[in-house]
Amino acid sequence: MDVSLDLLVNAIVSGLLLGGFYAAVSIGVAISFGMLDIVNIAHPAFILLGSYVAYFANSVLGMDPILAAAIALPAFYLLGMAVYQVYYVAFERRNDQSLRSLAFFFGLLFITEVGLVLAFGVDYRLVEARYIGPSLHFGIIDLPLRLLVPFLVAAAMVVGLQVFLSRSFLGRAIQAVAQDQLALRLMAADPIRIKRIAFGLSFATAAVAGAILIIVQPVEPSIGREYIGRVFAICVLGGLGSFTGMAIAAIILGIVESLTSTFFGPSWAPAVAFGVLLVTLAVRPSGLMGR
Amino acid sequence: MANSSLTVANIDAGYGAVRVLEDVSLSVGAGETVALLGTNGNGKSTLMKSIMGIVCPSSGSISAVIDGTTHELVGRSTEEIVDLGIAFVPEGRRLFPKQTVIENLLLGAFRPAARSAIRRNLDFCLETFPRLKERSRQVAGSLSGGEQQMLALARALMSAPRILLIDEPSVGLAPLLVSRTIDKIKELKEGFNLTVLMAEQNFTQAIRIADRGYVIVHGRIAFAGESAEALNNNDLIREFYLGA
Repeated sequence: MDVSLDLLVNAIVSGLLLGGFYAAVSIGVAISFGMLDIVNIAHPAFILLGSYVAYFANSVLGMDPILAAAIALPAFYLLGMAVYQVYYVAFERRNDQSLRSLAFFFGLLFITEVGLVLAFGVDYRLVEARYIGPSLHFGIIDLPLRLLVPFLVAAAMVVGLQVFLSRSFLGRAIQAVAQDQLALRLMAADPIRIKRIAFGLSFATAAVAGAILIIVQPVEPSIGREYIGRVFAICVLGGLGSFTGMAIAAIILGIVESLTSTFFGPSWAPAVAFGVLLVTLAVRPSGLMGR
Repeated sequence: MANSSLTVANIDAGYGAVRVLEDVSLSVGAGETVALLGTNGNGKSTLMKSIMGIVCPSSGSISAVIDGTTHELVGRSTEEIVDLGIAFVPEGRRLFPKQTVIENLLLGAFRPAARSAIRRNLDFCLETFPRLKERSRQVAGSLSGGEQQMLALARALMSAPRILLIDEPSVGLAPLLVSRTIDKIKELKEGFNLTVLMAEQNFTQAIRIADRGYVIVHGRIAFAGESAEALNNNDLIREFYLGA
């Protein structure tokens, strides 16, 4: 096979941009699964909800999808707090999280999906914005704005949350809450309140990730399922509890998928990406940056 | 000067149908170090947990005076009690094993009243425990037992408490470390103007820094020694600790 340089470089660049998008999709799960030990498999469905909010605001009101996400953010935050409260009262407080809570989040996944189907139908939907279409060119490198803008938004979100989690009292409590709840209470922090806030944040990221998703590709309600495996794989590969690891894992996965689909065809991409996950975990069982 | 004190009056407490404490009363005066002595299973930890709101007493009252204001503690949540200015170093230390030494210390300063003094308290803790400074970027789970006990003490002090409760600081430590830990507690108590209640099995070590003490047997206060001397000469102590 003839591997031309510009094909290789562009595959890496678009992989990098794709990785940024994956980081935005995964960051909510990095909080809920990585820091709170809550297996919220419904997260991709709420990302889809975010996509449809952006779609609605864009098609009806002509609003920019990212602006729509910013406006929807507080509502997603409150929704996340409410979902955690239900989860807490129904499962966590009674100490039978594992299997039943999985059923709970599966239920949420399907309810959200069906709700979206009823409201918007099963056709693919897309948004319009000035940055969808044109590309920047630097020598042999093509930078499609459709991928670059989501990458920048994702990067800002990951860096912002990382700073919040490592520099603020609330953020440090969120990182510690799953390790020892009594110890956290002895630090004068209410673990339930801390988890509620963290879960709200996790949902708030879905608003942004949803807007980014519908900019990157057209969506239909069940598309979120494609991301469930990928999102959890990214969190495990990066190391649970580490945002930096998660971001690196997202970019590795993006680049590997992009290279594979450029040179071997798109159908190989998931297989190779998960192969990378398995090999990494064999060498480093706690992930790239897991503690 | 320390102006915070603790009074436990006639409490009964236990777990479900099992009653562990019966009619227990004790007091810790402002600036005092009081030892709560007793062997395993006599209710020392349960008493500590009752004060901290982890176990709810079925009757009796627990009150604390913090900077001149009296607060009833029974019925308050653990986080509210800590927020008043009462810190607790629990049995088993309860560190956050995956967080670094520094992250553990900063979490100690979560309560709003502690945040303004965070720099000064952090410097004080790292100065008092140079070992923690050396290992500040290491995760707490990788520390040795003695280092973990130091971190647990330092983390409790980061909350800028007025009253400090310590449950069995000597457990699991080598004899030399035990006496060092006890010395550190005295040093910290003086540095922070604390009022201290310390549960301990190691009578000889505890009595070195305690002003007075209580002996708890089968969930009752069996003896209240008004001085270290009185404890030393007590028959119960002789029977339980000194083997005489």
